[in-house]
Amino acid sequence: MTTKQYVCIVCPMSCSIELTDDSGVLTVKGNTCKRGEEYAKNEYTDPKRMITTTVGLRGSRLRCLPVISREAVPKKLLRDCMKQLYATVVDAPVRQGDVIVANILGTGVDIIAARSITL
Amino acid sequence: MTANKQEILAAFSEGLKKFDLDSSAVSARIEDDGILTLEGSTKTWQTAVDIGHMAAKLPGVHNVVSDLTAPGAVPLKRKDSAPYRAMGVVDKADVVIIGGGVTGCAIARQLTQYRVNILLLEKEEDLCEGSSKANNGMVHSGYDSKPASLKARLNVRGNAQYTKWAQQLGFQFNRTGSFVCGFGEEDRATIESLYDNGVTNGVPGIEIISGDRARELEPGLSDGVQFALWTPSAGYAEPYEVTLALAENAVDNGARFRLGCEVVDILTEDGRVRGVVTKQGVILCDCVINAAGLYADEIAEMSGDRFYSIHPRRGALVIFDKENKGKIHTFSGVAPNNYTKGGGPEETPEGTLLWGPSALEVPDKEDRDVDREDVEFILEKGMHLTKGIDPRSVITYFSGNRAATYSEDFVIQNSRKIRGFIHVAGIQSPGFASAPAIAELVESLYLGQNPNAPINTAFNPIRKPEPAFRDCTQEERDRLIAENPAYGRVICRCETVTEAEILRAVHGKIPARTMDAVKRRTRAGMGRCQSGFCGSRVLELLAREWKLDPSEVTLKGKGSEILVRPSRNTGRNAE
Amino acid sequence: MNTLSYDIAVIGGGPAGLAAAVKARELGMDRILLVERDYELGGILQQCIHDGFGLLRFKKQLSGCQYAQKFIDLVAEGGIDVLCDTMVLELTDDRRIYAVSAQEGLLEIRAQAVILAMGCRERTRPQVSIMGSRPAGVLTAGSVQRYINMEGYLPGKKAVILGSGDIGLIMARRMTLEGIEVEGVYEVMSSLGGLRRNKVQCLDDYGIPLHLSTTVTKIHGNKRVEAVTVALVGSDGKPVRETERVIPCDLLVLSVGLIPENELSRKAGVQLHPVTRGPVVDDTMMTSVPGVFAAGNVVAVFDLVDYVSRSGEIAAQGAADFIRRQSAQENMVDTVAGSNVGFVLPQRVSADCRGKEINLYLRVRKPMKDVRADIMCNGKILKSTHYGVANPPEMIALRLVPDGPLDGPLTVDVR
Repeated sequence: MTTKQYVCIVCPMSCSIELTDDSGVLTVKGNTCKRGEEYAKNEYTDPKRMITTTVGLRGSRLRCLPVISREAVPKKLLRDCMKQLYATVVDAPVRQGDVIVANILGTGVDIIAARSITL
Repeated sequence: MTANKQEILAAFSEGLKKFDLDSSAVSARIEDDGILTLEGSTKTWQTAVDIGHMAAKLPGVHNVVSDLTAPGAVPLKRKDSAPYRAMGVVDKADVVIIGGGVTGCAIARQLTQYRVNILLLEKEEDLCEGSSKANNGMVHSGYDSKPASLKARLNVRGNAQYTKWAQQLGFQFNRTGSFVCGFGEEDRATIESLYDNGVTNGVPGIEIISGDRARELEPGLSDGVQFALWTPSAGYAEPYEVTLALAENAVDNGARFRLGCEVVDILTEDGRVRGVVTKQGVILCDCVINAAGLYADEIAEMSGDRFYSIHPRRGALVIFDKENKGKIHTFSGVAPNNYTKGGGPEETPEGTLLWGPSALEVPDKEDRDVDREDVEFILEKGMHLTKGIDPRSVITYFSGNRAATYSEDFVIQNSRKIRGFIHVAGIQSPGFASAPAIAELVESLYLGQNPNAPINTAFNPIRKPEPAFRDCTQEERDRLIAENPAYGRVICRCETVTEAEILRAVHGKIPARTMDAVKRRTRAGMGRCQSGFCGSRVLELLAREWKLDPSEVTLKGKGSEILVRPSRNTGRNAE
Repeated sequence: MNTLSYDIAVIGGGPAGLAAAVKARELGMDRILLVERDYELGGILQQCIHDGFGLLRFKKQLSGCQYAQKFIDLVAEGGIDVLCDTMVLELTDDRRIYAVSAQEGLLEIRAQAVILAMGCRERTRPQVSIMGSRPAGVLTAGSVQRYINMEGYLPGKKAVILGSGDIGLIMARRMTLEGIEVEGVYEVMSSLGGLRRNKVQCLDDYGIPLHLSTTVTKIHGNKRVEAVTVALVGSDGKPVRETERVIPCDLLVLSVGLIPENELSRKAGVQLHPVTRGPVVDDTMMTSVPGVFAAGNVVAVFDLVDYVSRSGEIAAQGAADFIRRQSAQENMVDTVAGSNVGFVLPQRVSADCRGKEINLYLRVRKPMKDVRADIMCNGKILKSTHYGVANPPEMIALRLVPDGPLDGPLTVDVR
C-alpha cells in the first residue's frame, strides 16, 4: 500500500489531499470537491499541467501574445510544448480563443490566444 | 610657521607612535614645498586615513600624498593610454575642463564670459554622476569651516551669490536658514565656538537663539532643543538641477561637452600642457582644469604634479515620501555632542524630506553602498532632532563620496610644475555652496595665465527654465497640451512627469541617454513607486528616441543595461 | 479645458473598475465613464498570463488576460465610454475629477458618483531595508512580469527572488520557463507568503528551493547586480550576521508586498484605514466622502480577482442607489477585527440590513488549523463557519444575511 500527500492546485483553496494506492485501488481523502479527487489521481498516475506562456507577435505594439492550453497537458511534455511555442510567431490582429497551435504534440489539446489584440 | 624638513619628519615619527603599528610599516618623505608623501601599509583603512590627517596637521606640511595601503584599498590607477593615443587627434580646444560635476560646470559657465573654446569632458554618460549628485544640496552658511581656510572664504562668498545664480539660471533655491541644536549645557561650548568661527568667517546674521525661538522658526524641531546656533543665510537647492542649469547656460554661451569621455593621460611638452588623451581619442588644448572630484589625484598624477591624495568619505542620504511635505522646512539641524559628523534633516526645494548624510571613510572610491549603520545613524539622529515623522515612510536611500584631501581644504591653484594646468581638487562639503566662488577663483587663475583673453560680448547669463507640468496652472497646462499633445501624456504618475518633458530631456542641451539622466532632469522615477510604473515606459521612449534596441538602454551608462535580451524572435530586432 | 458630465465615473480600468462599470450598466445607469491611465483596459491582468483566475465566478481555469477579456468585451458591448491613456490628476470631495490625456487635453469630469479603482502598487527595496549599492537589475516582480510577458524582454540571466507571495512564486516559474536561472526564493517570514498550490506548481515542479526565515540583506555591484547577500533572520526578525552568504546573480526580483494606491483618495479627503491602507468603506463600498466609492485592491489587497470583481459590483450597486436616493446611508455599525483577525472589510455596515446580503472579507494574523470564524453582534453569534486551515495569505470571505437589524458592532473572531 502506498500513500501520497498532495496539495491540490486546482483552485486557490489549496486542499491537502492524501491518496492511498491499495493494489491499484486509489482512494482520496482531504479533498473538498470532485476536481480535487481527479487531480490527486492524475497526480499519482499521470500528472498534468496547464500551459500558459506567450508566443511572438508581429504587427502590434506588444511583442508577445499570451496563450493558454484549453486543458491540462501531461507534465512530462511541458518543456517540449514550450519549445514549440517559443518558435511560434503570429500576426495581429488576434481574437481571444483563436487556435494558435492545434493538438500540440499530439496531446489532443489546442493552444489558444488568451486575449484579443487589435493594435 | 615654517619648519625644516628634518623637524617635520621627526614630528611625523612622533605622531605615528599614537598608532598601533610596526615601526617600519609606514615611511614618509618631504619635499621642499611642504608636501609629505606616505608609503607603506596599515591594518585598517581608518588607520591609514587617521595617519594622513595627523600628517596634514603637522606644522610645515602643506598637503599629504598618501600611498598607504590597507585591506580593501584600491591603489591609484595608472591607465594604458597607448590604444587611445593611436586614435589620433579628434578635437581641439583652448580650455579642457575635466569633470562634469557642479564645480566643472560652474567653471565652464564662468569661462564662457571669454571668447575661448571651452570643452568639458565627463567620463560618465551624464553630468553630475559623482559627488555632485549624492549630496544633500545644502548651501552652507559657512560657520564650520576653519577660519582663514580657502573653504571658509569661498563658502561665505559662494553662499552670498546663490540668490543671483538662482535668478539667472532659473533653478529653485530656498534660503531656509539652518540650526545647530543644543540639547543641554554640555553642548554650549561647541555651539559658542561655532558661533565664534562664523563671526570670524563673516557669516551674515549669525546668532545663538533660544529653543523656543528656534521652534517658532521651525515648528518641526524637537522639544528637547534648548538653544541653537541660527544662520539665516543657509539654504537648499537641488544639486543636479544646479549642475545641469550651469551646463545648459554654458552650452548657450558656446561651451561644448563630451560625455562618456574618460581622460587617461595628460599631454605635456616643455612644462606646458598640450592636450589630453581620452577614450574618445586625443584632444589638443592649452589649458587643463582638473575638476575631477574623487579622481582629481589620478588626473594630477597624469600631469606629473600630484601633491594631494583624495580619500573618499562616504555619505548616505535617506529620502522620505512626499506625504511628509511641510513637516520640516527651514532647517538642517545638527546636534553637536553625539552627532558631530554629517548633516541633518531638511526639506529639498521640491518638498521632499531628506535626511543625512552620514560620514564614513572608505578605501574604494567606487564604494557607494548604504549600510544598515548609515541608515540607523541617520534615522536616530533625525528622530532626535525632529518630531512627527514616521521613519517607515522612507522611499529610498543612496550614497555618495566626498572628495576629501588630507588637509581637508580645497586645493585651487595653478600647477607649479606644468604651465596651463589648474588644480581644483578636494572639493567636498561645502563645495556645492562654494561653487560660485570657486568658479570666480578659477577664472582669475585663468586670466592670470591668459591676461588677453577676449571678452565674450554675447555672453548671456540667463537660462530660462522649461516649465514643469506639475507646477503649471490649469491654463498653462491647457496651453502646453494645445501646442504639444505629448504634454497630455503623463508617464510618471508619482511626480506627474509628461512625455513632452521626457523628450525635452532626451533632446536637451545636455542630452539624456540613460534612465538616471532622464530621472535627474524630469524627476520621472523619483517618487514613491521608484519607477515601478514609469520604468518600462521611460525605457521605451529612450529606445525609440535614440534608436536603440530596448536591451541597449542603460540605467547609468554601459554595463548597467536594464534588459538582457529579447525573449522571442519576432523578426523585429533587426529593424 | 473640456468639461464632461457623467452619472458614474470609474477611475481605473483593471478588474475592479471593469466590473463596476459593467454592473453599473446592468443596473440601468446611463452615462458611465471608465478612465484608464494605460493605453488599454485590463490593468495588471494583462500581464498575468498564468491561469487560476475566475474559478469562483466562471468555474473555469482562466488566465488573467482571459478573465480581463470577458469584461473588456462586456464594456464594449455595453457602449460604456472609455478614456485610455488618460491620467487622473486630482479628485475633489465634490466629485470633480481632473484628468489629462494627449488626445483630449485637460478634462474636468463631473460625476454624481465616483468609483475609485486604482488598484495597488508594489513595495520597493527600501521598504524592506536592503542595503548596498543601486545597480541595474533590481526590479519588482510586477515589472519583471511586464517586461517578460508583454514587452518580450528578459531582464537577467540568473535571478534571486525575495518574497514568496503569489507574484514571486508565479515569476519563479515564468522566469525558469523563459530560460532565466532562478537560484531560489527567499522569504523573511517563517511560512509561505502565497498560496500553497503556487508553491507546488511553481517551485516544486521545477525544483526551485524555498528558503524560509531568510532575507536579502545587501546588493553588490555598481552598474549591474553582481551578487546579493542573504542571511537567516532571528526570532527578533533581524538578520543574523554570522549566517550571511553571498549569492552571485544579475537580477534581484522583489515580491515584497503591495500597497493600495490612494494618492487621489487622500487628496479628496477620503479617510484611510491604518491596517488596510485603503479607504474605510461601508457595505456599499462607499468611503467617508459621500458619493465616492472604492473597489478592489485600492481598498485592501485581495488575493482573488473574483473578490475584486465582486467588490466592484457592490460599489456599482452602491453608487446607483446613492444616485437614485441622493443621500448617504444612515444608521451604521462598525465591524471589528476580533481575535486573530488582521482586518475586516467593509469597516462599516448598515444597521438596517435585514434580509440583505453582507459580504465580509478578512485576513487572519497567524496561520491556524481547525478554526471557526464567528460573526458576532452584541455577544450573539450570528454566523459560525468552520475552516480546516486559515492562513494569512488566503483571504476569508464570509456572507451574512442578518434576520434582524444590527444593534451593535459586528465582531469577527477566528479561533
